[in-house]
Amino acid sequence: MKQIALYGKGGIGKSTTSANLSAALSERGLDILQIGCDPKRDSTRMLMHGRFIPTVMDLVRTQGDAAVTLADVEFKGYNNVRCVEAGGPEPGVGCAGRGIIATFQLLEKFGALNGDVIVYDVLGDVVCGGFAMPMREGYAQEIYLVTSGELMSLYAANNICKAIKRLSSRVKSKCRLAGVICNAKGQPREEELVAEFARRVNSSLIGFIPRDRVVQLAELNKKTVIEYEPASAQAECYRTLALRIMENTSLTIPTPLEIDELESLAYSFI
Amino acid sequence: MSLKASPTLSSRSGGCTLTGALSVTTHVRDAASIIHGPKGCAHHNFSLLHATGLDNDLAVIPALVSSALAENDIVFGGEEALARTIQAVSLRDVSAVFVLSTCIVDTIGDDVEAVCAREYGVPVIPVSTAGFLGGTFHDGVNKALISLAGIAQPIEHDRNVNIIGEMNLEYEVEENYAEILRLLTLLGLPAGIRFVHTLKFDEIGMLGAAQLNILRDPSLVPVGEFLKSRFGTPYISSFPHGLSGTLAFLKSVADTCKIDGSRAMGIERALQGEILADFADLGESRAVFSGPVSDPVSFQAAQETADALHIQVGKDSGSTPVPVHPVVGTAGVKRMLHRWRRALHA
Repeated sequence: MKQIALYGKGGIGKSTTSANLSAALSERGLDILQIGCDPKRDSTRMLMHGRFIPTVMDLVRTQGDAAVTLADVEFKGYNNVRCVEAGGPEPGVGCAGRGIIATFQLLEKFGALNGDVIVYDVLGDVVCGGFAMPMREGYAQEIYLVTSGELMSLYAANNICKAIKRLSSRVKSKCRLAGVICNAKGQPREEELVAEFARRVNSSLIGFIPRDRVVQLAELNKKTVIEYEPASAQAECYRTLALRIMENTSLTIPTPLEIDELESLAYSFI
Repeated sequence: MSLKASPTLSSRSGGCTLTGALSVTTHVRDAASIIHGPKGCAHHNFSLLHATGLDNDLAVIPALVSSALAENDIVFGGEEALARTIQAVSLRDVSAVFVLSTCIVDTIGDDVEAVCAREYGVPVIPVSTAGFLGGTFHDGVNKALISLAGIAQPIEHDRNVNIIGEMNLEYEVEENYAEILRLLTLLGLPAGIRFVHTLKFDEIGMLGAAQLNILRDPSLVPVGEFLKSRFGTPYISSFPHGLSGTLAFLKSVADTCKIDGSRAMGIERALQGEILADFADLGESRAVFSGPVSDPVSFQAAQETADALHIQVGKDSGSTPVPVHPVVGTAGVKRMLHRWRRALHA
């Protein structure tokens, strides 16, 4: 079983990439589980044709842990991709990080963490130990960073490298940086820049997703690109990404950059 | 008078803010204290307060209630669990409810003050006591006293003298209070409230009436300052230590209250002379100070007492260890001398 997690700046396209990746992987006849690890709970929405599925935390809150079953939280989406949303507390109260930990414990209890590939789609920043959970305890062993060529996006990716570096130094840790995915904004020399960033943090560019209108159109039609426009070049990009991820064996401990290093890198690609 | 050696220095290792605050709030006997956090925080403190009370011959069950948070309350926020707990406690026969926070609720950011501000039919007073923020036992005591003092309104001053921040968990708490009461009586001053020791909630209303506040210990200066600014009451920052310290205390209280303390000081000086005469048999002994106390004030008081009796203090091979305790007033010195006699004549 392959377990991968996508991390990156908020709004950079992690959920879109995750959903299309899961869809592309499912086309290969694989059993896929996608877990949204964000209280905003919209990771699996395109796989579910626009439906916000009940979240694990919602059900725990309304019914209590004991009453929740796997059937209540796991939903079959496009091409039988299994979808789970962790959810979390209402905005502004409680502890969303602890909610992620509780969700994982519950999924563990259900024996739900199986299949050929598990895709963990995690919220923008690793703000606390809870959101590092998918990287810990032998869950996701391969971390993919989703970034554009924009400085703030690279900055967030670099910060996540710090978390991976810290966690990978632990004795039993299996978590490694597996690659960088460039979800392009369409700026000049973007692919080159992100590839160079990836090299500098001791990794490589595993996929380049160009900016394409079809992504928005698919979203407005509540579908993944794979489902909405299967013959499009964009869909092919996601399929290529899926193939590369399945074949990828290059797992590294990242070497995060200092901020001035990062800035001068971005500057040199103006 | 107890001759039992005191378990001194409850401030070792700083202690927990929550425990310090509870040592105050549980002494408001007709109120209840809610510990907003996991059950364990309440259990641990209940045991400590109960055991310490029994040690001081006080068979009082501390009125502690836990909001008993579990994992889901942490994930979704513990505010509703707190509201339910306050609601349930307010239906009991209590005049007030104190709500003390713990590490976890301040970590997840529960708005304890907002929950306490709702209507419950009894006063609900929040005290922020999360230990991980770096506060000590003393900070907990101060925070609780200041929160409680906030309930009292300024009123006309009378002649009373309040006792502020007694160490409710110390073994000699009653003896120390009795000594201060004796000294005040010597000056002809009436004692006001013990803020807070075995107090009723309504009595807190009298807090602002005193003409003087006497603090147990200089760590309570922030409380003294708060009371001074709220009620205009001056304060003396510590109970007296040692023979000369007791005389200086009498003078300082008399001066602050603008009365003549010379007669009281004369009587006290004579009493101290009698006590020293009673222990003249210890004169010319060779002793070395021992015990867990390290504060300079107690050592100074012990050294002064030894000098008055011509006891030679040093680390010579023939020296007998004598214990140093934080002694309050002349009576404290006398208690210490009894212990020294037992050691030196053993």
